Amino acid sequence: MNPEQRSLDEQIITRYTGQPYRLPADLRREVERQWRGDPVLLYALADLDHSLRLAESWLLLGPRQVAVATLLPAGAWDVRSFDRARVRAVRNVPGLSASTLTLAWESGEPPLALVRYTHRQRRAIENIRVVLEEGLEGRAVNTGDPDDAYAEGVARPVREAQAMVAGRDTAVILRLLSYLRPYRRQVSLGLGAAALITLVSLLPPYLAGYLIDRVVRPAQQGLLPAERAATIAWIAVAAMAGAYLVRQGAAMVRLRLMSVLGEWVARDLRAELYEHIQRLSLSFFSRKKTGSIITRVSADTDRLWDFLAFGVVDVSLSAIMMLGLAGVLISLDRQLGLVMTLPVPLFVWAIYRYGEALNRLFLRAWRKWSRVSDVLSDTIPGIRVVKAFNQEAREIGRFDERNRAVTDEFNRIHRLWTTFWPLVMLAVHGTTVVVWALAVPRLLGGGAALSVGTFISFLLYATMFADPIETIGQIARTMNRATSSAHRVFEVLDTEPEIREAPAPVRLEPVRGRVTFENVTFAYDGVRQVLRGVSFEVVPGELIGLVGPSGGGKSTIANLIARFYDVSGGAIRIDGVDLRALDLGHYRRQIGMVLQDPYLFHGTVAENIRYGLPEASLDAVVEAARAANAHDFICKLAHGYDTVVGERGHTLSGGERQRVSIARALLHDPRVLILDEATSSVDTETEREIQEALDRLVRGRTVFAIAHRLSTLRKASRLFVIEDGGVIESGTHHELMMKPEGRYRRLYELQLHLA
Amino acid sequence: MTTTVVQEALTLERRADGRLWAARGGAARPVWVLRCFPWSEPVRFVSLRDDDENEVALVADPAKLDDQSRSALEAELASAGFVFEVTGVLAIEEEVEIRHWRVATRQGERRFQTRLDDWPLELPGGGLLIRDVAGDLYRLRYPRTLDRRSRELLWALVD
Repeated sequence: MNPEQRSLDEQIITRYTGQPYRLPADLRREVERQWRGDPVLLYALADLDHSLRLAESWLLLGPRQVAVATLLPAGAWDVRSFDRARVRAVRNVPGLSASTLTLAWESGEPPLALVRYTHRQRRAIENIRVVLEEGLEGRAVNTGDPDDAYAEGVARPVREAQAMVAGRDTAVILRLLSYLRPYRRQVSLGLGAAALITLVSLLPPYLAGYLIDRVVRPAQQGLLPAERAATIAWIAVAAMAGAYLVRQGAAMVRLRLMSVLGEWVARDLRAELYEHIQRLSLSFFSRKKTGSIITRVSADTDRLWDFLAFGVVDVSLSAIMMLGLAGVLISLDRQLGLVMTLPVPLFVWAIYRYGEALNRLFLRAWRKWSRVSDVLSDTIPGIRVVKAFNQEAREIGRFDERNRAVTDEFNRIHRLWTTFWPLVMLAVHGTTVVVWALAVPRLLGGGAALSVGTFISFLLYATMFADPIETIGQIARTMNRATSSAHRVFEVLDTEPEIREAPAPVRLEPVRGRVTFENVTFAYDGVRQVLRGVSFEVVPGELIGLVGPSGGGKSTIANLIARFYDVSGGAIRIDGVDLRALDLGHYRRQIGMVLQDPYLFHGTVAENIRYGLPEASLDAVVEAARAANAHDFICKLAHGYDTVVGERGHTLSGGERQRVSIARALLHDPRVLILDEATSSVDTETEREIQEALDRLVRGRTVFAIAHRLSTLRKASRLFVIEDGGVIESGTHHELMMKPEGRYRRLYELQLHLA
Repeated sequence: MTTTVVQEALTLERRADGRLWAARGGAARPVWVLRCFPWSEPVRFVSLRDDDENEVALVADPAKLDDQSRSALEAELASAGFVFEVTGVLAIEEEVEIRHWRVATRQGERRFQTRLDDWPLELPGGGLLIRDVAGDLYRLRYPRTLDRRSRELLWALVD
């Protein structure tokens, strides 16, 4: 684990769980002293005491010892150590939210240790359990760094649930804004246009006041000649028209520039994200739900477009506009200006609180909406079952009840906003009434002088307050939405691929297909070994059948050959070269896979066959389809090879999809081929056709074929029986059948009997 | 492995090894318990399993066991059915993709996280159940009797 990852895990533990982020240093010293210098290999927190109250005990594992340390009320540690060799059995009893781990000695005797723990500690405890169980079987496990294992185990559920990006929200926003850097010119122009809009917007109210005080009233009073007044008035009107023209022109420039700019940034983010996703290892995809990854590329980047295109400019300009207006109003008339501006913070606060209340209401509505969606996603795919059990009326009732509940929530939201905004406007109008009440006596000659023109300007400026108040009131929501999306996007961008290219990668020209496993061990989670010291050598052109019970390690072997994961120990060699030293892209081009559920992409049949070799000629496509026994059925499709197969190839049957995938593999012409249950889910006749196609496909290649139906592997050069992470038998079908107590023979006879 | 529903002859006891032992007809073996209906019938239909997870017996009604067996079974059920009993909600905050909870429980104060789209589940026997991202369970036995602040915090999340 890299230091950043551990630091992040430790931060998560401290911030979210409140439990120690690692073993207390004084306890480690005390235990290692008792163990005469032997190090702590693994540790875990047992957070429940025997009466199931939250407590702090630690289970520690050393090379030769086990210890349980309990924190005493006085703050001291009660440490009880015993030899690992005394442990004869390890039992874990799972409960709803608490499990019990017992380390037993002799049956019937009190246990050596019994600890209770919540699910939060499960992974850390499991690490110790697995090492002890492997030890009982005489196998050693490389445990890695104990602090890493503990921090990873405890922090993992939170890390998997949350897009965590190191750094504060402001840092995330700054990072997001850095995507504007390539478009500095457009940003400057957009901001300039927005500033111009703000400035020009201030002109018409000023002109209105000027016209009334300096032109209309003097003309009415005969202080200004009519001709001169008309000329000035027309100039002012023209200036006003010019101001509106410039304003709308600037608005057009700003809208266009910023929306296009937002699209460019969203495009850049999507491209960077998608390119990065393609480079990520399979373990990332097993950790994250497909929907969550798709949302990051689509909805989150779209939301960021909205923020970058409008949010940034709107918020900053609203703040400037509000300050500018306050300044103008107070400078026009201090008394009236203060009456208008002093309530503004109150309005902003009220809108902020309204936003908070609305959020809570939306949360309720969202929850109820998800209950409606649950009914739909339950019953639409399961409509045959609904009909078969005659449950339509019940399902309609269930939907109606939830539909009514969600409608009630939305109506509650409507009641809030339809009450709030009229009240806000009433308050704003109330302020205006106060302004009028104070202004009228002055307009009539009482108190400090106030010209009609100034007052008109004042009123026009006052109407411009509403929009910026609303924007500023919603700033928290805007920022929250943007930072949430940015966190999710940056989390993916910050994930490093676990499979890395060697600094000076080797290209095998050509790949012959000799595959060597040298004492290979592998664990998906770093501790639980799925493969334990697997060794074998396969010469080019051999067809190896991998058989054995589910979970034995067959698919893991296939995944490692394709280098979807790197081995935890030992090495895999291709033609004598360590797989990790090979040019990954070049090597993968030599690998072909035919899976149990073949995946076809949305596109034509021809495009799918050509997927690995887009430049292949039509002759080659047809030839591959013929060899795969697919040509006939393809020709009978309405549009032949140009038939669009639909998403995941749903318009084709399972057997047809399989034959298209075999044609795809044939055209790809791999040196090493992996067949993973390629014929397991089709009928007998289809299986025969697929088997014929596979026979053609495997010729001249190194093939690893995984199959539960052992009869399909009789032509294999050799069979490896994989069980419990190792090769427990190997040989030809004939050789294995000669072993009276052999595992393969038993499996084969069992299948023959069932058939 | 045969499954037997309610065995009169079944006796249960906790032995020195700290485990529950089930004995019938002279044969005894250590077992662990699994509630078949943890929420709707928490004390009935208890499945007794051996170390290979095979069912040894199904106790449909513990009241039919002798006193000693029943009390041994109840002690075992207490740990098997352990969930945090929430007595008050101290804070609920939303962060990126998760909801962060701080609650008071009978077992002590606890902080935990749920996914934003994981809502408290209404239990068949009444009350609410919350499952955190690690899989730990938190039961609110009587949500309506919680203090005002707790109810306010929960308002958006429960009916």
